[in-house]
Amino acid sequence: MVASLVALRRPDYGYALLQRLTDHGFPVDANTLYPLLRRLEDQGLLSSEWNTEESRPRKFYRTSDEGESMLGRLLDDLAAVQTSVTGLIQGVDR
Amino acid sequence: MNTLTDRYLAATLRSVPTQRRDEIANELRASIDDMIEARTDGGQDATTAEREVLTELGNPDVLAARYADRRLQLIGPAYYLVWLRLLKLLLSFIPALVGTIVAIVEAAEGKGFGAIGPGIFTAIQVAVQIAFWLTVTFAIIERTQATVDLPGWTVDQLPAAPVRPGIPLADTIASVIMLVLTIGYLPFQHYQSWVHGTDGDNIPILDPGLWRFWLPALIVVLVASLIFEVVKYRIGRWTWALFGTKALLDLAFAVPLAWLALSDRLLNPALGERLSWLADADNRNILGLSIAVGTAAIVVLDLVDTALKTRRQTA
Repeated sequence: MVASLVALRRPDYGYALLQRLTDHGFPVDANTLYPLLRRLEDQGLLSSEWNTEESRPRKFYRTSDEGESMLGRLLDDLAAVQTSVTGLIQGVDR
Repeated sequence: MNTLTDRYLAATLRSVPTQRRDEIANELRASIDDMIEARTDGGQDATTAEREVLTELGNPDVLAARYADRRLQLIGPAYYLVWLRLLKLLLSFIPALVGTIVAIVEAAEGKGFGAIGPGIFTAIQVAVQIAFWLTVTFAIIERTQATVDLPGWTVDQLPAAPVRPGIPLADTIASVIMLVLTIGYLPFQHYQSWVHGTDGDNIPILDPGLWRFWLPALIVVLVASLIFEVVKYRIGRWTWALFGTKALLDLAFAVPLAWLALSDRLLNPALGERLSWLADADNRNILGLSIAVGTAAIVVLDLVDTALKTRRQTA
């Protein structure tokens, strides 16, 4: 979810996002990602619009302002977890 | 036009909310086409690519449930423990009780050992009914709650954790439901006992004369027990004062009940006209003695159990 919100700072459609996430080391199942995008949209964290200019109509998602602030909180949490884990690793004698 | 993709889309959209169906259909079709295209660009033939893509997307019912954000469980972890406890409690004695009553009624009608079959059959039926309705109720609670609770859940919504190792909420809920059912049964049996006279009228199981004093008194004791359960839960653990109150309440219910049973005043004398077995005074005395002994045994076991808990929790 965090990865999707980060990646969709640049608008993209379902399958292209799937590939970008996989390329960046976030292998995610298509049957998980597509419904997730819709739920995030329902929650107002993503905005979307249909692009009909290309070969087939595609729905492009983009991280909304609300999604951005949620993402900020999530990234803070992740950073805190990272700090704690690092601290724990360093604190344990081998 | 009925390709695998069409069939997959139809299967998925069947259980997706109607107002979003078209949009999801368009988007999902575009995504599937994208995925197929990526594979055919890599040199696969279109049919194999389509099969592989749809296999990757998996069971359409699961996908639809994810789109609709639907629970894929009948009763989730939030209610499972309460459900299980209540189910065990209800199944532990109601089927046996009803089955025994039916067997007694059948025996009273002169069927002898043939009465055991209907008794067991009824007990199984009652057990199935209890399990079914309890589960349906909890499944409905699960679903109504889920739509309210799931979106935007934050840590702030966590209820304060009850710091009470002594008295679990589920125990209290189960006791309260039991008491309410018992209170409800007393007036209920007066109007609907499933025993009918020769003229088709309903014959109450308990002596209607008891309504002048004893049954209202017993209901007062039961209501007091109900209040006691709530107070006990708020206090959060057993104390000797609570144990004393419970002992008083138990005795206030059990002693009149046993005494009425022993002096043959509990059951409706009119039952004897319908059930010849009950017309015999000896049989009535045996039944009264069984009720009295059973009541005493339950009270003693309950009080010993409570005393042990109290000693553990006050230590």
